[in-house]
Order: sequence, then C-alpha cells, then structure tokens
Amino acid sequence: MNLRAEPTFPTRAGLLMLLAITASCGPAGGDGEITARESEYRGVVLDPGPRPDFTLPDLDGNPYNFSAETRDKLALLFFGYTNCPDICPVHMAGIAAVLKGLPWEISDRIAVVFVTTDPERDTPDRLREWLGGFDGGFVGLRGDIEEVNRIQGEVGLPVAVLPSASDRAGDYEVGHAAQVLAFAADDLRLAYPFGTRQADWKHDLPLLAAGFAAEEPQ
Amino acid sequence: MQWWCAARSASWTWTWQAYPGVWLLVLALAVAYWLVSRRWALTLQPDSSTVRGRPGWFAAGLICLWISLDWPVGALGAGYLASVHMLQFILIAVVVPPLLMLGVPAGHPNLPAGPEKWLRLSTHPLIALVFFNVVIIITHLPSIVDALMTTQLGSFAIDMAWLAGGVAFWWPVLIDRPERPGFGYPLKIGYLILATIVNAGTFLYLTFSELPVYATYELAPPLYGISPLDDQRVAGLLMKVGTAAVLWAAIGIFFYLWHRAEAEQT
Repeated sequence: MNLRAEPTFPTRAGLLMLLAITASCGPAGGDGEITARESEYRGVVLDPGPRPDFTLPDLDGNPYNFSAETRDKLALLFFGYTNCPDICPVHMAGIAAVLKGLPWEISDRIAVVFVTTDPERDTPDRLREWLGGFDGGFVGLRGDIEEVNRIQGEVGLPVAVLPSASDRAGDYEVGHAAQVLAFAADDLRLAYPFGTRQADWKHDLPLLAAGFAAEEPQ
Repeated sequence: MQWWCAARSASWTWTWQAYPGVWLLVLALAVAYWLVSRRWALTLQPDSSTVRGRPGWFAAGLICLWISLDWPVGALGAGYLASVHMLQFILIAVVVPPLLMLGVPAGHPNLPAGPEKWLRLSTHPLIALVFFNVVIIITHLPSIVDALMTTQLGSFAIDMAWLAGGVAFWWPVLIDRPERPGFGYPLKIGYLILATIVNAGTFLYLTFSELPVYATYELAPPLYGISPLDDQRVAGLLMKVGTAAVLWAAIGIFFYLWHRAEAEQT
C-alpha cells in the first residue's frame, strides 16, 4: 500500500489519526488495543467486536440503524466529506469499481455506509449526488457533528477536526479518519487505511462477504 | 518549490508552478548544441564559424522536450494521470530524439579508436532496439513507477531513461556515424516495423488489466472523475497508437527516400 509523498492536510490528518487509532482504540465498548493480526485478508484485522449500534438520519431523513440495517451483510463504514480532495473519493471510487466487477450474489451482500463529517456543506442532495456518482447503492448518513463524533469514538476512530465556525466560510478541509472499517460475520472487524488498492478490495470483499447468506433475487 | 515534477498527494490545481530543473536541462541542451555545433563547424570548416546544423529541428525537439517535462504536462503525468504519463513517454522517447538528431550538424569529427569502437557497438541496431525495449519495459513496471515517481530524483531518472532509450533507438536510422553501409533503407524500414511490434507487451498489459496497476495513479487525488482504470486503458492505447503513428510516419519517409534513391540510381 502506497502512502504518497508530501501529504496534504487531510492526508496528514488521516495518517496521524491512523497512528492514533492503532495506538489507542479498541473494540466498541471494549478496552483492548487494536492489533494487526496475521490473516488471509489484506485489510488490518482488528480485535473482534459487534458492529456499532447507532442511528442517524439517512438522506430522506428516515432513521437508519446501522447495526439492524446491515445485520445480514458485510458492512463498510466510512466517515468523510464530499469536498474531500483525495482520501474520500479515492476510497469510494475504489470500492465502487470493485463492487461493479463482482458477481451480484457477492455485491448484494455488501453494504457501504458513508457518514458525513461535514454536515453543514453535505446536504442530503449534495450527498446523494456525490455518492450516486460512485454507486447508487451507497448509503449516506448525516447527523449532528457532535453525534457523528460520538459514534466515531464508539467505533474507535478519532473525532473529525473542523475549522472553527468563523473559518468555515468558503472552501475548507476537514480532518478525518482515513480508514474504512469493515464489519463482517462473527464479529470480525477490519480496517482499510488510505492506500488500500482495488486489488486489495477485490481480494478481501468476496472472502468477507462469504460469511453471509445470499438473498434470493427479487 | 520542486525542481522536477514528481507525484504529490495534493489535489490538482491549474495554478502554474515552476520547475527550474526542466528549464536548466533545456537550457543546458541548447548551450551544448550551440557549443558543439560551433566547434564542429570550426573543426570541419576552419575557415567558417557558422553553425552547419539544422537548428530549427533541434529547437523543435527542445520545445517538445520542454512541453513534455514542464507544468502542466509534466506535473499531470508525474502524479495524476497515467495517460498523460504515457503522452510524456511518447514525446520524450519517440518524438524528441529524432527532432534533436535531425538538428545535429552534418559531418562529424573523427573520434579516437576507443570511443569510436564503443560508439559502433552501442549504436548497433540490434543493441539499440533491445536497449530501447528494455527501457520501455522497466520504466513501465508498476513497482518501478510507484517507487520512482514519488521522488523528484526518481521521476527525473525515468524521464532521462526515456530520452536515453529514444536516442539509442533512433540513432542507427538517423545518424550516419559510425557508417553502416549494410544498414540501408530496407533494413531501416524493417527495424522500425519491428519496433512497432515489440512494445506490444506493455500495451496489452496496460490496456487489458482488470485493475489499475499503478498505485501512483490509482491513489492520486481524482481529476474530473476520470477513473484510474479508464485512464490506464487510455494510456495503453496511447502507447500503441501514438508510438505507431510516429514510427509509421518515419517508415513512410524512409520508403520515399528509398524510392527516390533507387530512381536516382536508374
């Protein structure tokens, strides 16, 4: 995995946060440290734990309970923002490209959930348009930043860093965690930092999705 | 400030950036051309200090080289789009060398035996063709591209390898030194036709890979929503079509020259 030279602010922030998470966070509600394990996966295997139980409004304003909605699927959870110049679009584009190439029986067992860390600018319409540019099936969630940060703490991620209210005029960048979290069967959890390649997703997603039964085509 | 274009994680901006290393290289080549041409002119024609080269060709080559290395082409190719990286390759390795060589003054001073022998060996068509294709393969390997493009020195090394490979490749067909009477128009045409075939491996690899092969471009800040895989496929096609266009143009010219030479003999 390639961490490119001369990272910009969000990249630096992501890297710092990745260091922070590897040093400090544990499974939801637990006190263990995240440790990379030797595994068959390309992602970083974390200490096992249940998928987080949080509820945020979806883009239609309906409550979306992450744990319940993704219970029977491999869930990929990412916190980012649509004005992100690098990490967010690269992650989303990479996952979307690989999902398009997977057989329906596999891709149907994978849910991608994007939680905005910039709710002021990421209106539902903006999120819908941005996510739809990658994959119409991606789920967008949007809540108060305090609630989003609480959830990030719950899943072991550092909170989003926004400029102060007076500095949020025009273009600004939001510091946020750079990894996608994967919640698979049997409480298996993995982290995919920035630098995860499409080849890595193509390798891991079918393996992780195999733990869930395919739904019958409608 | 960067002295040479290299991959950066900053998102692309159309704000102009200076790359003084590129200017220095172009300037150094221009000065070297002027000095060498003048010296050759004095050596070959002691009564004249005029440059007997074709500076227009050389200037065209330098302008092409400058465009391919400087902002925005150089910056886009170094860290954002594989297709622009390939455009750089075509310009630097396939277009620039013949233009520079066409500007070389006619007639060359004699070399000492050692360098003459080395020149004869290194510009042998077979060696030149092999060298050029080894350069193509190595400089397009994902591990090499991803390792080198993130540093200015690495990016510079790739650009110079392309230029050196291109000079080596074009030398036997454009420079009559050392003389190779057996390597006439038919063999030159065959040499160029062979060259259109042998880079097929890299073209096929880039065009038909199911996944992006270069982390540099796959993980680059996105540009206008261009997907890394589409960009890579364009790069592969560009390599084949762009290189073939230049080579077939040269083949056509050599056919014409061959025909004209035959007509003059009869």
